[in-house]
Amino acid sequence: MSTVTASSPGPAAGGGRGAGGAIERVDRTGKLIYGFLRRIPTWVLWLMVIVWSIPASSLFLNSFRTRDAQRNSGWWESFNEGGWTLANYSEVLGTEQTGGLARALVNSFAIAIPATVIPVAIAAMAAYAFAWIKFRGREWLFIVFVSLLALPNQVALLPLLQLYAGGAHWTIPGTEFTLTLFPDFDLAGSATAVWLTHTAFALPFAVFLLHNYISSLPGELFEAARIDGADHVTIFWRLVVPLSVPALAAFTIFQFLWTWNDYLVAITMIGSNGEAWPATIRIASLAGEFGLREHVLSAGAFVQAGVPLIVFFALQRFFVRGLLAGSVKS
Amino acid sequence: MGALGGALIGVVIAIGASTALFFGANWLFDLAVDRWRTFLATSGALVGALIGAVIAGNDVAGGPLWLWAAVCAVVGAAAGIAASLLGTPSKSSRTRLSERGRLVTFLGPSLLFAALGLVIPLIRSIYLSLLDSRAAEWVGLANYGEILTNPNSLDLSGWTEIFTSRLFYAALVLIAVGLGIGMAVGRRRGRTMEALPGSIGPIAIGLFVLSFAVFTTLRGTVINNLWWVVVVTGLSTALGLAAAVLADGVRGESVAKSLIFLPMAISFVGAGIIWRFMYIARPPQKPQTGFLNAIWVWLGSLRPRTGGAWVAVLILALATVLLAGLCAFGVRRRQTAFAIGAAVTAIPVLWLIYRFLGPGLGGSVPGPTGEPIAGTILFLQEAPFNNVWLMVVLIWIQTGFAMVILSAAIKAVPSELIEAARVDGATERQTFWNVIIPTIIPTITVVATTLIVLVMKVYDIVKVMTAGNFGTQVIANEMWQKAFTELNFGLGSALAVVLFLAVVPAMAFNIRRTQRADA
Repeated sequence: MSTVTASSPGPAAGGGRGAGGAIERVDRTGKLIYGFLRRIPTWVLWLMVIVWSIPASSLFLNSFRTRDAQRNSGWWESFNEGGWTLANYSEVLGTEQTGGLARALVNSFAIAIPATVIPVAIAAMAAYAFAWIKFRGREWLFIVFVSLLALPNQVALLPLLQLYAGGAHWTIPGTEFTLTLFPDFDLAGSATAVWLTHTAFALPFAVFLLHNYISSLPGELFEAARIDGADHVTIFWRLVVPLSVPALAAFTIFQFLWTWNDYLVAITMIGSNGEAWPATIRIASLAGEFGLREHVLSAGAFVQAGVPLIVFFALQRFFVRGLLAGSVKS
Repeated sequence: MGALGGALIGVVIAIGASTALFFGANWLFDLAVDRWRTFLATSGALVGALIGAVIAGNDVAGGPLWLWAAVCAVVGAAAGIAASLLGTPSKSSRTRLSERGRLVTFLGPSLLFAALGLVIPLIRSIYLSLLDSRAAEWVGLANYGEILTNPNSLDLSGWTEIFTSRLFYAALVLIAVGLGIGMAVGRRRGRTMEALPGSIGPIAIGLFVLSFAVFTTLRGTVINNLWWVVVVTGLSTALGLAAAVLADGVRGESVAKSLIFLPMAISFVGAGIIWRFMYIARPPQKPQTGFLNAIWVWLGSLRPRTGGAWVAVLILALATVLLAGLCAFGVRRRQTAFAIGAAVTAIPVLWLIYRFLGPGLGGSVPGPTGEPIAGTILFLQEAPFNNVWLMVVLIWIQTGFAMVILSAAIKAVPSELIEAARVDGATERQTFWNVIIPTIIPTITVVATTLIVLVMKVYDIVKVMTAGNFGTQVIANEMWQKAFTELNFGLGSALAVVLFLAVVPAMAFNIRRTQRADA
């Protein structure tokens, strides 16, 4: 416990004690001022909270206002003027012609679910191998693997898109013969390309985070199991997975929010194929036609943010734990 | 709901197949120990089927894929049985083989994805960056030269204007004040310089202002990125630390922290849209719908030298007197930081008085008839400060991140340490600056480096809010436009590699730090 009051003058404010009513009165005034000063940090905090809440709450209020109300006055006027409506939300949940997001939300799920489940599964296995299976070059391989965290996604986007769009081929030098190294699955423009990419991009962080946790599990437990004849598969499935639920949950939430909110990978891999657009691209394109559909844009942004906000409020502790594990060893 | 159904079926199939593969491999390697011949036959068949598929897929010879796979599988199985007739290796080497195989089943999928999705693309990006825009001709480092010489990405021509900007002189004054305080206190304690909030604070703010002076005169994509890194990293970390400290132990702490942290859950695209609504500027004759311009115009409508303005000046003058008193109190009690705090707070108050008496507060410009009308700020169009308004969005998001991490670090400071400091008679403020801050410095570094990496790659916010127009271009957005809109693969890849090289030092630092913490 450390209550820090950075700008309070310290207990010295009540100093100068002596006998007599006058001094007592001065003392009381001093205490009053001191109490006032003491509360300044708290006021600053709540002021900060208010400032931080204004942007999102103003959009939230606007999303319930009619097109005319939004265009002609600020949200703060709505308390006098009225002009409330739910029409924006019904438009936004409708079809694309009215700026609807229904299909885009489905696409977002279609990307975020596989892009979360698959990395968690394979990263957990790799993390277990790095932590508890002894092999030559383990440290070295782990460091290389985790170093991939440094790669910005941008570095891999263009080559990956080329891979998805045409496969990889190699003409053997000196011959006419072309070997297909990676077949052309015609993935560009599909949700599959997006979640495959997310899976690859997520792995270094996932392995890093889960390794931190799994390597701290008690080794004697695994030794005992091995003596009882359990192999790595049994140990992994029966012991490691159940014991790592907190870390797995933390990463799952983190990765789900990350892929749900992603824009860069999706716009690169899907491009102009509007049918496969997730909600982020959809609302960004609504923003591009600013003025035309600005009245549904606020509702759209809120519908897109709804899922992460629900996750955030319901599972905040895991989410925070995921973040903590990502930056500092807890 | 077709897409979702398809995706779910895909996920189920993928998981089912992976599980089957996983347990299949496990079963296969069990065979290696107990039934060597079956193991060789099965693996021979699998390898054969794979070779057959490759042969058919590459059209080396005619015939359907399944036929080639089946024929080669039989051949492979036969070869395996034949090999088993040559003799069985010792039990220990078979066990080693089976362990090796298990290792591959655990590590293989991750290594495969990482190699295909990260390592090979990185190598290919570096290769592409050395080719021309169509990825046809070898051009060496020409693309990198283009980035450095193009005035859009790096324009240092205006550097002399640094010395004429007001920001520059404000920065000099702040740094001088900080140094002066540091030296004055230092002399009293027998040292040349004393590092304390009162000296470090003005110097840090001064350097920050100085960076503004530099970044507003030197222009270009690369400069913009550096500006983003300095401002967002600095302010997010500082505000996050402030929030963590202020909220610590306060009633309603978790509510306050949740609300500051909440923007972390919103996508960058969503945040960009939220702030576009904040920044809306409408023609001056119409009521403003953007919150910030509404305040600005309202402040502008408070005309100087009217009744209301005099009242305001009176209140502000009282505040100045109060602050002066606090400052004097601080000086008398040798509470330097306190005195400085009061003095610094007085600066904006004095500025407000000046604005009320003189040019007026907020946005108002002379209209066509000479009467003052509302003057708005075009937050997103007015270069170079539109960059700062974009940075505000990321600061809004990332302060919560910094706060959460730093708050955890503050709570993790061993209570014995704080108790010991208390017993030694340290005040709360001394405990904070001399015990808590030094203990959490490593965490502050981690937060800062994590933010540097993140900010360096900033893309979505710029893309949604200005699309890189009005002098707000950043490397990541430039890279995307070059590679995917203009289809200039060479330059796009070179920009991506530049981004990679810019991120590596911070990331390496971060990873090494965490590794050391692991050990």
